[in-house]
Amino acid sequence: MTYEFSGKSKMWLLIGMVVGAVCLGLSWFSGDDGLHTRFWSNFLHNSVFFTGIALMAGFFMCCSITAWAGWYVVFKRVWESISMFLIIGIPLMLLIGVTVALHMNHLYHWADPTMIDPTHENYDTIIAGKSGFLNTKWYIGGTVVFGLIWIFFLSRIRSISLAEGQTGGDGFEKHYGIRKYAALFLPFAGFGSAAMIWQWIMSIDAHWYSTMFAWYTGASWFVSMIAITILILQYLKGKGYYDEVSTEHFHDLGKFLFAFSIFWTYLWFSQYMLIWYANVGEETIYFKERVTKYPVLFYANLVINFVAPFFILMRNDTKRKMGSLGFVAGLVLFGHWLDFFLMIKPGVLHTAHLAGGDHGGGHGHDHGHGHDVAHGAHESVFELGFTIPGLLEIGTFIGFLCLFFFFVFTVLSRVPLISKNDPYIEESLHHHT
Amino acid sequence: MSGHVSPIREPLVQGHKSYHDITEDLCAPTERKPSAAWVIGIIISLSLLGFGLFCIAWTIWHGIGTWNLNRTIGWGWDITNFVWWIGIGHAGTLISAILLLFRQKWRTGVNRAAEAMTIFAVICAALFPGIHVGRAWVVFYFFPYPNTRGPLWPNFNSPLLWDLFAISTYFTVSLLFWYTGLVPDFATVRDRAKGFRRKIYNFLSFGWTGSAKHWQRWEALCLVLAGIATPLVLSVHTIVSFDFATSVIPGWHTTIFPPYFVAGAIFSGFAMVLTLMIITRKLFNLENYITIGHIESMNKVILVTGTIVGVAYLTELFIAWYSGYVYEQFAFFNRAVGPYWWSYFGMMFCNVISPQVFWKRSWRRNIALTFFVSIVINIGMWFERFVIIATTLAREYLPSSWSYYSPTWVEIGIFIGTIGLFFTLYLVFARVAPVVAIAEVKSILKTAGDQYTGPDAIHSHHGHGDHHDHSHAMGLAANTDHHDHSDGGHLDLSSSTASSAIASSAVAEETVSIETESEAADGPRIRSTVGPDDLKKIEGIGPKISELLNAGGINTFAELADTSVERLKTILTEAGSRYQSHDPGSWPEQASLARDGKWEELKDLQDRLDGGKFV
Repeated sequence: MTYEFSGKSKMWLLIGMVVGAVCLGLSWFSGDDGLHTRFWSNFLHNSVFFTGIALMAGFFMCCSITAWAGWYVVFKRVWESISMFLIIGIPLMLLIGVTVALHMNHLYHWADPTMIDPTHENYDTIIAGKSGFLNTKWYIGGTVVFGLIWIFFLSRIRSISLAEGQTGGDGFEKHYGIRKYAALFLPFAGFGSAAMIWQWIMSIDAHWYSTMFAWYTGASWFVSMIAITILILQYLKGKGYYDEVSTEHFHDLGKFLFAFSIFWTYLWFSQYMLIWYANVGEETIYFKERVTKYPVLFYANLVINFVAPFFILMRNDTKRKMGSLGFVAGLVLFGHWLDFFLMIKPGVLHTAHLAGGDHGGGHGHDHGHGHDVAHGAHESVFELGFTIPGLLEIGTFIGFLCLFFFFVFTVLSRVPLISKNDPYIEESLHHHT
Repeated sequence: MSGHVSPIREPLVQGHKSYHDITEDLCAPTERKPSAAWVIGIIISLSLLGFGLFCIAWTIWHGIGTWNLNRTIGWGWDITNFVWWIGIGHAGTLISAILLLFRQKWRTGVNRAAEAMTIFAVICAALFPGIHVGRAWVVFYFFPYPNTRGPLWPNFNSPLLWDLFAISTYFTVSLLFWYTGLVPDFATVRDRAKGFRRKIYNFLSFGWTGSAKHWQRWEALCLVLAGIATPLVLSVHTIVSFDFATSVIPGWHTTIFPPYFVAGAIFSGFAMVLTLMIITRKLFNLENYITIGHIESMNKVILVTGTIVGVAYLTELFIAWYSGYVYEQFAFFNRAVGPYWWSYFGMMFCNVISPQVFWKRSWRRNIALTFFVSIVINIGMWFERFVIIATTLAREYLPSSWSYYSPTWVEIGIFIGTIGLFFTLYLVFARVAPVVAIAEVKSILKTAGDQYTGPDAIHSHHGHGDHHDHSHAMGLAANTDHHDHSDGGHLDLSSSTASSAIASSAVAEETVSIETESEAADGPRIRSTVGPDDLKKIEGIGPKISELLNAGGINTFAELADTSVERLKTILTEAGSRYQSHDPGSWPEQASLARDGKWEELKDLQDRLDGGKFV
């Protein structure tokens, strides 16, 4: 059976994308800052979020292949399709890299060349010390190189998997081929995701660092990926596809959602607790900003991404009922989007303030400021789109989500939904938890 | 775990084992005289343990000054060994709990030994905090006891105290998990034992009878313990990592420590499991249960966790530079090229480089290489802890306090003593308890035995499924899948025979052998045409009853078909009270089908029977 991407679905998704484009466009004109910080930070926020989801789908699929898991095979085309979204996501990240290099925005504090110029009054020793890594060459180069490697491996895996679906063969040569690519992909995903998370997200708070950050962010992507998989599968089942995907499969996905929500919390707690306990100013500033100026998001992050999935999914039956599982999946997807919001916006806003928020564009070269983050005290005012997501942010999220679904469903509709020649297909069809 | 098994999967039980063979093979090490190798092993282990005890006594008698610790380097080999042993203690619970949740069937071959290893490693670890304080007689200060000595309380803000709780919780739950798994197996050993030995095992098995109720409660307990144990695997080494990471010492204070310590612990735990299992399978002839496939799976875990640890090492190194914090930068510079460069190099080489050999399949399946690499990793993980502890302390903020440290013979002796303790306990365990979990291996036999799946399967159809799918439907407790009666509400005949068999009374043992044979009834191997027939193919007849019938002059299906039920009952009654529970009512009918070669009909009939009885 092949998924038929109906005109009606396409239309709704296109409407969503138009809404997103309008909201993103409006955010260009929002605020009085000539740097269009709200626009660029929304663009970065959503691009990085969905790119990461695609990467994690590929990552989890390769883990499952390498671990000889059988249960997921019935819907493996969905993960293959999600992972292909990297073809959209990586160019989006590249676009950000290029605009950073061209100084079309000021998302990254370190992108200001005066910061590393010892003769300039803006000179910042810390950022100068990091400039070997925090520069646009690394940013663009890393995005391109790792992006291409990830796309190469994941599309090889998908094309072999499609060939397997068509011709099969008793010797499982195709499956052995997939295994090789899957295993080799894992270290590239592991090392590469860490490096790119440092570039894409952690470097927004350019002075700050945490060794945990890459894994923490990866876990957030991972939970979002599981949530979005559940939502896609529920949608397809609702449309009458995937009869073979049973309550048992949803139960297992629910367990992953539950377990990795706890894992995410574990990483969140470990990072927070160690920084709080040691109380080193350079480190605590990150959380101090967020607790004091973004308390709603700070606590909502924990409630939505830990308390809710933990208590709702703890029971057996809530993982097996479509309503409760779908509710939690939708909730944590939004929750982790908020988590990324909270990772990105405070630093971006701070950078924008440091750059002067001058009305005439430019990069704030002429605004001498104390660049020591610890006393970079600008007055704390509520700013919609930064302090909490405004309607434009929600609209942009919907737009990106629709783009994501549009792409995934287009890819998914090209081939039969079930790969009947996968060696594990019988296990998956008769899966019992 | 469904009854459908992918044809690509490698069988996990080799040698066409029947349920009875499994009991025989796995109980054997507890029933025969110890081999020379075992005796030599225990003598060596006890000698090492004795030397260790001497060194501990020496420390306590002469004081902690017999160690080479100094004002700068306050933690040396003691805490290095402590963290090393705790780390090793992680694989057991990982295998029992997390691999159980992931339904990894290969865990059944190694879980028992790994759980035992966990407990012994934690015992070895627990020794060190006790003696490193110097005054062992006030070690109760560790515990939050009702305070009678003024304002002196354990510091509840201190990770060192959390560690005490974490480790004692972990130890308790691991012990319960291990012992719970052992109960049915002790019963199996008991049922084969005589005299005083039987009494001991009866006591150890808590009077297990193998009733459905027992299995049901056992399953429930296993599930609860697995649920508790899973977060514990993470928590223990997380809190050990807090001992370091909550400080402000460069090289210790880094946020990646919790997950990185956990990954490293699993890594070192698996290395030790490999070291032990490669010896054990050889010593006790368990190659059919701990197969090359098991070793390959563990080597994959080694490769993955080794590489995760590698990511963490490089993350630390990179972020140390990135931080722009000179002390942090110096800490790592010092680790790599300072006076202890050799331990940093040893750590990197042993833990990150050496596991990379397992990218190659034939090397993953090479036992000698695996053994060698597992030892290398054990050493490497010791280096890791030494790097973190001693190297970091040796170069503190104040250069005038810089120091260098190498251990005295006492410190080395205590470490050697813990190795002796560990192997003494392990060798004793391997003698008194089945070192591979009998009930759990039985539970995977039909989905992972090589007569059912893989290239040597005697079944004609792929996937080995359909007609006995029901016996494998199960919940999270992979180890219990034969006993799960909750599946869809239909009465599960083969499953009930299997569980009574695993309950391991000698009588039920027979029933199972039959069941196995009857499963294979459509296979060519057992279709005999000449000479005495294999009467065990009749459901309800096992090896013992088969012998009784042969003695009574019934050797073929034809003869059995012509025998009256009354005569069969007489034969059974005369053989003794233990056979009275058998109802031969269906045997002649079954035999007539067998005589006529109507195997399919026999199969259908047997599916309707319960242990050979009409329901």
